[in-house]
Amino acid sequence: MIRLYHIVKSYAERDALRDVSVHVEKGEMVYITGPSGAGKSTMLKLLYGAERPTSGKMLLGGVDVSKMSTQQLPALRRNMGVVFQDFKLLPHRSVAENVAMALEVIGAPDDSIRRRVPAVLNIVGLKGREDDLTGVLSGGEKQRVAIARAIVNDPAILLADEPTGNLDGAMAVEVMEILQAINLRGTTVLVATHDVGLMDRFPYRKLRFVDGRLVGGAAPKGGRG
Amino acid sequence: MILPFRRALRGLREHTYLAMVNTGVITAAIVLLGVYALVVVNLQAVVSGWQHDVHVSAYFENSVSAEDQAASRVELAGRAEVKAVELVTHEMAAAWMRERMPEVGPMLDELGEEALPASLEVTLNDGHTSPAAMDTFAASLRETGRFSEVDYGREWVERAAGFLRTLTLLGAVLGVILIGAALFLVGNTIHLVVYARRDELEILRLVGATDGYIVTPFVIEGALEGLVGSVLALVALELVHQGVMSKLHEAVPLTFDNEGFRFLPGGLLVGLVLVAVGTGVLAAFVAVRRFLRRLA
Repeated sequence: MIRLYHIVKSYAERDALRDVSVHVEKGEMVYITGPSGAGKSTMLKLLYGAERPTSGKMLLGGVDVSKMSTQQLPALRRNMGVVFQDFKLLPHRSVAENVAMALEVIGAPDDSIRRRVPAVLNIVGLKGREDDLTGVLSGGEKQRVAIARAIVNDPAILLADEPTGNLDGAMAVEVMEILQAINLRGTTVLVATHDVGLMDRFPYRKLRFVDGRLVGGAAPKGGRG
Repeated sequence: MILPFRRALRGLREHTYLAMVNTGVITAAIVLLGVYALVVVNLQAVVSGWQHDVHVSAYFENSVSAEDQAASRVELAGRAEVKAVELVTHEMAAAWMRERMPEVGPMLDELGEEALPASLEVTLNDGHTSPAAMDTFAASLRETGRFSEVDYGREWVERAAGFLRTLTLLGAVLGVILIGAALFLVGNTIHLVVYARRDELEILRLVGATDGYIVTPFVIEGALEGLVGSVLALVALELVHQGVMSKLHEAVPLTFDNEGFRFLPGGLLVGLVLVAVGTGVLAAFVAVRRFLRRLA
């Protein structure tokens, strides 16, 4: 599903990623971990097209996204969900309206939106909360809305950048359980985190970064990498 | 096409204050342009009126009899360039002088009323009031040999024509500067308003919205704000025109033409609305596109 070959990402002052090669199987759940500044977020930004690699090749589902034009990015992102630590929700809009944004963008008809939004809210445990404004929700609830928005289009890949970073222990576990459930439905999930406790509780392969280099977990168990 | 309008209306509803700021700035810019246009249009009307009010005074030789004077009046009245012609006899001239300048009465008594020459007061039709046309007309009068002097204030006519030319040129230059300033003001305000909605733009990008999908509602919002802003501005201008300016006109009776202190012509009103709508559209388009380029 995801294949990176010798990816380098350089900024003016430093190299954020150095010669990173990774292989993630379809339907796999993987952690991207390492200390702050190790390159976790840069890795995710490359995957959803917010940054371009300085060199190297990135294949997502067989498509070389490292050479994608800006005009092609929307098509990539419609097949990919992204969740952030700060949720990125519109607080003056309702839960349903926030989730529906991802469907409106692809031109889904109103009746389809009315059907799919409650269904996906049911998956993340927010059934019946459609009309609540997201601005008044708790952190855990906000992250569930963000996850609902990210998966409402049934994306092949879900990227989560420190999704539990703003949540307390119990809420973090709930969010991880939701991500795990989404993965069990067949979605490839990449979670950037440095929460060792969560990784121990939900054990999956870890792509460990140190100072921009991948130092562990490059290939799936038994894979070629 | 319905979805972008629906999203634009939702944007206006959700960001009513920001929309009011945009509309207010557009209103202010159009009022500024409109007041300026109002001043220019009326100044041009005044100066143009001065030109049209120019009279030719042709003073008869003392040797010309009253019958010949009357015949000259009839003859001139028949010429194409003449709008009106009035015969002012010795007696009428003396009466006018006594009324306006009573102190010269004793002198007139002594000299006799024939001291003031009879004259023809000629008003020319539009299109025959330029300095060159009046020169030709005056020369044709002199050639008859019946007039001792033909006076039409050539210097005054030339000054009025020169002033009108300068005013038109100045109007165009200042108009361009004002439109530029209005565009700058509205553009920067809309840019700030778009910046205030950057979270929405960022999220739309993340969920796979194309540039066209993101920009279109903002452009519609800009057009609606421009339309509402310009209509409000025109209402304000009409109130200014009817109220304050009309009173000013009464207090200071200037030389306006028959229409009095006029409002902006229809073409200019439509032009102001189009400038406002165009500014709203262009400013929104540029601001959103500039922001999207930064987002990647």
